[in-house]
Amino acid sequence: MAMREMRWRKRLLFPLFLLVLTTIYVGATFQITPQFSEGVVGPRFLPLLAALLMYAALVHVIRRELVSDDESGKGAFWQPVAVVLATAAYIALFKPFGYSLATLLYVYALFHIFHYQQGRPLRRLLYAIAVTAVFYGLFTLVFGIRLPTLLDVI
Amino acid sequence: MDFFLELSQGFATLARPDVLAYMVLGFVIGTFFGAVPGLTSVLAIALLLPITYSMDVVPALVMCAAIFMSGMYAGSITATTINIPGAPSSMMTAIEGHALMKKGEGANALGHAALGSMIGGSLGALLLMALMPLAAKASLLIQTPGKFSLVLFALVVIVIVQRDAIAKGLIATMLGVMIATIGIDVMQPIPRFNFGTEMLVEGIDMMPIIIGTFAISEVLYQAHQNQGDLRISLSQAASSIIRRRDFLPSFAQIREIGIVTYLKSALLGYGIGILPGVGGSMAAFVAYADAKRRSRRPDDYGKGSREGIAAAEAANNSMCGGAFVPMLMFGIPGDPTTAIVLGVLVINGLQPGPRLLETQTDLIAPMFASLLVSALVLIPLTLFLLGPWFVRIVSIPKGLLYASIAVVALVGSYVATFSIFQMALALLFGVFAFFLRQQNYPTVSLLLGFILGPDLEQYLRRSLSLSDGDPTVFLTSPDSLFFLALLAVFVYFMVIRKSKQAGIEGKTTVESDP
Repeated sequence: MAMREMRWRKRLLFPLFLLVLTTIYVGATFQITPQFSEGVVGPRFLPLLAALLMYAALVHVIRRELVSDDESGKGAFWQPVAVVLATAAYIALFKPFGYSLATLLYVYALFHIFHYQQGRPLRRLLYAIAVTAVFYGLFTLVFGIRLPTLLDVI
Repeated sequence: MDFFLELSQGFATLARPDVLAYMVLGFVIGTFFGAVPGLTSVLAIALLLPITYSMDVVPALVMCAAIFMSGMYAGSITATTINIPGAPSSMMTAIEGHALMKKGEGANALGHAALGSMIGGSLGALLLMALMPLAAKASLLIQTPGKFSLVLFALVVIVIVQRDAIAKGLIATMLGVMIATIGIDVMQPIPRFNFGTEMLVEGIDMMPIIIGTFAISEVLYQAHQNQGDLRISLSQAASSIIRRRDFLPSFAQIREIGIVTYLKSALLGYGIGILPGVGGSMAAFVAYADAKRRSRRPDDYGKGSREGIAAAEAANNSMCGGAFVPMLMFGIPGDPTTAIVLGVLVINGLQPGPRLLETQTDLIAPMFASLLVSALVLIPLTLFLLGPWFVRIVSIPKGLLYASIAVVALVGSYVATFSIFQMALALLFGVFAFFLRQQNYPTVSLLLGFILGPDLEQYLRRSLSLSDGDPTVFLTSPDSLFFLALLAVFVYFMVIRKSKQAGIEGKTTVESDP
């Protein structure tokens, strides 16, 4: 019973998050100040209509989730979180570290998260260097795009 | 007549070595992405999108068309060999193809899938070329209220095709519409929903949404699934070694399937392709069900019916041609792939509409040619050259594959505008799309809502301002009335009648229960 309760509570989190998001959106709708009047159907009309439809659909989904026994959404939790954290770090370090170093670290981290070449750190590093080099070649040599570098070197 | 002349020049452009190389490259990429379960041609084109900033428009569009066609066909490869459809549109092929594989006739099943794809894809491309001038003329007749009703029709169809999850489809579509309202208003020079930040004043680009929704979310989803290695077992691969001559379908088998099955399935696929947001899965399903209903050997279905494979594959590849019609004429994508191709057009400053055909056929014609050549030449050629090694395509380690996808996606979103903000947005939308996918919300609806939302608002407000705020303009304008009537028909058949039938079936079940 407790497990079932926990499951539906988890499933409700996302629709509830969308409900909060929609409410913030509705709040921002009222801050729109039209430059001239277009009658009822002005700059606020579609956002309000979209929000109204969202509320109706969300209420329906929440009601269904409350009675549903569906167990969809099973899977590992830490791995997607780790991917998000690694990606956020990659984005933050992309310019200061340059493409080569940031990408090498990022690819190595993703290999670790996906258990690729587990227990073989040297081979993992070599593959990470290969992936970094291949896409460096693709972007800079094939498409002629200038990527950020570390101290104008790599 | 000019159009057909330009079309022939399109074939000449395609014959240029550089453009031809892009088509072949696109076809190979599409085959790879279509064949590997979890990867789709949509993801392939999404990853290609940022790169198109530094490419000419013709090779970019040629490459997109080749990816689209090959991705649709390649889904049948793993559907047949290991019973995992490489693309959702190959579900029906998996049922019949894998049954044949188990009987030791996998190569023959792959041959029939390729033949069906070749016929369907070629017919779809030919219909696209033949009917495009007519579609352009018809689109000129549609006035602003009619355009509003057409976009409304498209949005409603996108929602109601989510048969068992209409509410979730509506949520995803409205999320897309809401994201599209961020930035400058469509009619007045005022910012909306920028929450005091300058970065949001110009609105959200389509690119980080596409990269986030289709690439980053895929990486997160695969990490979440935690299925270990994508590699199939070596014993399974070894048992699938096949010879080239085994691929050739016999004349007797083709005659048994019948030319009518190929033609009807291709026409069904093309027609379904024109409908917005419906896509290859529905095309394959409808054609398969129709072929089964008319079949002289319906008992073979589920046990390895070549007719079922031919119908499903002819329909899903023919859909490719149909999906381009509403996208090129009205900017309404028929499926997610054409939604991204629309992005390629917009990035290159091309605006969909009848004028595109009048003034820029030289840019569009090679893409049509690429669709036809991919279906007619590259599908059978790929089967002949690469067929014996198809099953090994899936032997790529998951870590290597998804790390590469993540790098291409993120660096791609950076190089498009040289902006770290775009990378961050791609991650944000990726996380958002991951949760949507995890809870069975259709992420494609989000993208289509994002694309169609501004058009809906613009046409609505423009129509009302032209008619002094009189809403009856949507009923008095014949084109608008036509689309509203069409909308009512679709809602009746896809929602009201279905729920009535479900209600009757439910009652019967309850009554028959002791």
